[in-house]
Amino acid sequence: MALISPSEKDFITKGIEADMRNDGRSRIAYRDFTIETGIVSQASGSCRLRLSKTDVLIGVKVEIGDIISNTTSDNNNEQEQDIVNNQNESDKGRIVCSVECSPSASRDFEGKGANDINNELSQIMNRVLNGPQGGIDLKSLCIIPGAQCWIIYVDVLVLDYDGNLLDTIFLATRAALQNTRIPKTEIQDIGNGQLEFDISDDIEDAEKIKGWEDVPVTVSLNKIGQKYIVDATAMEELCTDTKIIIAVNRNGEICAMQKSLYGSLNPSLLTEMIRTAKDIGKVLIKNLDTTLEHEQVMASRANNKKFGFFI
Amino acid sequence: MDKRRINGPEISVKPIEKKSTQPKNNKDDGIRKNNRSVDNIRPIFIKPNVIKKANGSAYYEAENIKIICGVYGPRSSKRSMVSDEGTIYCEFKFAPFSCNKRCGYIRNAQEREYSLIIQQAFLPAIRLNLYPKSSIDIYVTVLENDGTTACLAAAITCISIALTDAGIQMYDLVAAASATCIKGNICLDPDASEENDTNSKFMLSYMPSLKQVTHVLCTGKMEAEQSIEAIGICIDACNSIKTVMDHCLINSH
Repeated sequence: MALISPSEKDFITKGIEADMRNDGRSRIAYRDFTIETGIVSQASGSCRLRLSKTDVLIGVKVEIGDIISNTTSDNNNEQEQDIVNNQNESDKGRIVCSVECSPSASRDFEGKGANDINNELSQIMNRVLNGPQGGIDLKSLCIIPGAQCWIIYVDVLVLDYDGNLLDTIFLATRAALQNTRIPKTEIQDIGNGQLEFDISDDIEDAEKIKGWEDVPVTVSLNKIGQKYIVDATAMEELCTDTKIIIAVNRNGEICAMQKSLYGSLNPSLLTEMIRTAKDIGKVLIKNLDTTLEHEQVMASRANNKKFGFFI
Repeated sequence: MDKRRINGPEISVKPIEKKSTQPKNNKDDGIRKNNRSVDNIRPIFIKPNVIKKANGSAYYEAENIKIICGVYGPRSSKRSMVSDEGTIYCEFKFAPFSCNKRCGYIRNAQEREYSLIIQQAFLPAIRLNLYPKSSIDIYVTVLENDGTTACLAAAITCISIALTDAGIQMYDLVAAASATCIKGNICLDPDASEENDTNSKFMLSYMPSLKQVTHVLCTGKMEAEQSIEAIGICIDACNSIKTVMDHCLINSH
């Protein structure tokens, strides 16, 4: 466990009360991020996003899987079962997210403590992305109703940690899903009502995931003293007793909300936080999309090289 | 004809039923399938001290939701780590027969997450600084599930009573309420069928006397103003649940 001294805590808390944080930001200012997509050749889509020193690499893999109907039970796939339990529909694909915090990133991610963090983050992702609030058109992932569908595996690897992990993960997920291409399938009827499908090998044919534009991002608000801040650094997170995570999509709709950590808060502060998160989330998505567009323009130029991990 | 018995008259008439005089609220008409109004919560029954071996325990019932909870502690922490504050450990489990589909004995990801949520909901309420080096272990079993979010809220309310029964010092009782959004209306305490029909779930736990929100959990698309409205409605519900909890505690001692 990382620790903080009482005087440091006091310094940060008083600074936040005066709307002046250690790195010169105001309470609701976000750090700049750098983004690079399509850097893992084996993945269907990938993204590396760095928010200051927080560094997240996401690989998205699309695979063909069976649609789990309610009658079959498979204990090996418990986590997938949970997701399906909530939906009961046989014409939808699904998204399976998992977060792996590399023990080299922070002391908090060592040993058994990492399991709790990984589980909490993965659960939030699974809950937000599976369902209409996740934006992605799950029905378009279905290949043969009742039998087979595309499963989108979103695997998050946390390489370095300097606070605000969840927001970084969601920003990167949105970018990685934008980058993901699903191969085209052709369904043929082979008689007796049986269907068969072919997967096209042509990369040019691959399609974007439908509805990635509506994938929400999260805004984590940390309550320190009687004020709250967004995009906390690792030091600021140590001063936080209550964290509210709010997922917002591009239309400013609230897609999910959750409290975390050990504190409590006033209802009036909570409503204020929701309004702030809504505004910040919209701006954040706009920034991300312009960055992605810019990146695409750069990539289309002939002699553009990916930097990958060498910066 | 049996002469030894008193026989009923040969001709019978249907008893005259008193017509329901309850005025129907037009606004609520037809929003919910189960004929409850939007701000209606299922009647709650709570009984403390049901498990003899446990330091504190409680049984909670609200129509088809049945939950039993045991609290052990404060007892010495199993982990060797010395801390100047106590720790809370929670195990939330759906009984294998409680849900639509059988769930295994090993806790799945959702149950582990709910355990964590319960822990977080009680951390601000329990005076952990009074219990150094010790842990408070909470075990909740859902015997019958009728709405998963409602179960989580019910579990939190039930644990509050069990913790009080165990004599653990708290700043305030924690009450929790759940809600969902049906056709743009916030409906309290959704049951399983309502939960399947809609995609938005809302759960809020609240300390009524201190007026502090201890946990909030929300999934599904909602307008920002609508979720703010839901917070208000859930807080009102928590206040009325608190009166039930108070009654239960006063009557049991």
